[in-house]
Amino acid sequence: MKPYEWMVKYTAQSEWIERRGILMWLAEVASGLGAGLYLISLFFNNLWGMFLGWLIVIALKGGFHLAYLGKPLRFWRIILKPGTSWMSRGFIFMVLFIGFAAIQMALSYWLPGTGLEVVFKVLTGITAFLLAVYTGFVMNYVNGIPFWNSALLPLLFVLGGILDGCGLIIAIGLFGGDVDIIAAEAISLVLLITTAIVIGIYLWSATYLGAAGKQAVIELTRGNIAPVLWVGVVVCGIIIPLVISISAYFAGEASPALLLFAIACETAGAFSLKYSILKAGIYSPLIPANIY
Amino acid sequence: MTRWGMVIDLQKCIGCYSCMVACKQEHFLPPGIFWNRVVIGETGKYPAVTKQMYPVLCNHCQEAPCVNVCPSGASTRREDGIVEIDYDKCVGCRYCVIACPYQNRTFYADGKREYWPGQGLTELELIGRELYPLQPGTVLKCNFCAERVDEGLEKGLKPGLDREATPACVITCPVTARYFGDLDDPSSEVSRLIKQKNGFQLHPEYGTDPSVYYISR
Repeated sequence: MKPYEWMVKYTAQSEWIERRGILMWLAEVASGLGAGLYLISLFFNNLWGMFLGWLIVIALKGGFHLAYLGKPLRFWRIILKPGTSWMSRGFIFMVLFIGFAAIQMALSYWLPGTGLEVVFKVLTGITAFLLAVYTGFVMNYVNGIPFWNSALLPLLFVLGGILDGCGLIIAIGLFGGDVDIIAAEAISLVLLITTAIVIGIYLWSATYLGAAGKQAVIELTRGNIAPVLWVGVVVCGIIIPLVISISAYFAGEASPALLLFAIACETAGAFSLKYSILKAGIYSPLIPANIY
Repeated sequence: MTRWGMVIDLQKCIGCYSCMVACKQEHFLPPGIFWNRVVIGETGKYPAVTKQMYPVLCNHCQEAPCVNVCPSGASTRREDGIVEIDYDKCVGCRYCVIACPYQNRTFYADGKREYWPGQGLTELELIGRELYPLQPGTVLKCNFCAERVDEGLEKGLKPGLDREATPACVITCPVTARYFGDLDDPSSEVSRLIKQKNGFQLHPEYGTDPSVYYISR
């Protein structure tokens, strides 16, 4: 791109996806994955899943975010503007989640079935949900990028997070964890179909979000990012897991190897979905046409 | 209440880049960082070709999205409408860079970059780093030469009328295509020009209410 073409042509945001921006993408995936895994582990009361989700949030989400910051030592400042900034709110959700989850896991291990455990399960569940949803609001707030400025984005991120969490909990079950795999597969199947529908509606509705929104969908479906959408999201993230889930549903039970393959594809789909949405964040040209 | 604003006359602008250079010089901006830019392009086909010049800078929006999204409180809007960044508070998350619909913020990534690679910093650059300690790892943008405005006001000068109290890009423009003044004062030159020449803002549909207006007739 020539200098200043960004002012007269549609230009994609690069700060959150190119160069060090890759860290932001990874952090966003980890956010959905960790929080989603925690939520689904709460449902199945699986301590290993909770611990893994908690670890993903602390080590991967927290680590990638910290590594991305220009001034990492000032990270604590992010907490200062929850009144207006979704990033501040997200940081608070993360801190609360980490604290509540640590207490809840300790209670579930040493004092299971107590009233206090139930209270902390509710608190942790709420903060995990907020953690999964806030990244959608962070992007949804940016009205300069109409493609992101959709109310469906937070919903899509939550669904995607729980779906990926579902995949990971099945994997934990396959490796000997105490998980009802058949129930997890059924939930996964419902979530897969719902997520696929929401992705479709999101892309369709984005074409009505002005010219830049339409351009983003064109880029995503026919442009340079199209392989990521079609191969990563649609084939790997939806079709392969869906075929395996449906065949397992009708045939009784799928082989562990096949299930692990479906989980790997689903996780690749999660990475691809966030990548393609970040990459398709397109600004309108700065200069209005035909001004003279 | 004062609200500093700027009017840029697109018919007068000749695309000489003086504003860009003056801004760089005023703030000792490092290589690759521009607070002021001039877009020069052509529209139409021969023989009906029109050359377009579009100087752009931070719009110092009344409803600045960059201020709202900033999680650390580094981006603030002063009472006089100038949106500024406190480099000591900026964490470098770049949410403001993303949120600015005009793409007028830049992340200052590489503090070691020199104008003459391998030659070290020039004396002028070293002086600049003392006078304007811009911090690598933070976000930069135009500040309407707030330091000139503030110093000028302390001396009893009037920004927009007195050179010393007026942004560098405005006083440097050789064709006086830029005007600076109080948008809240109906008798100021900027208010008059906006009213008389139908001044317009970039992308008003975003609801940001920029303080930079353009006139083209």
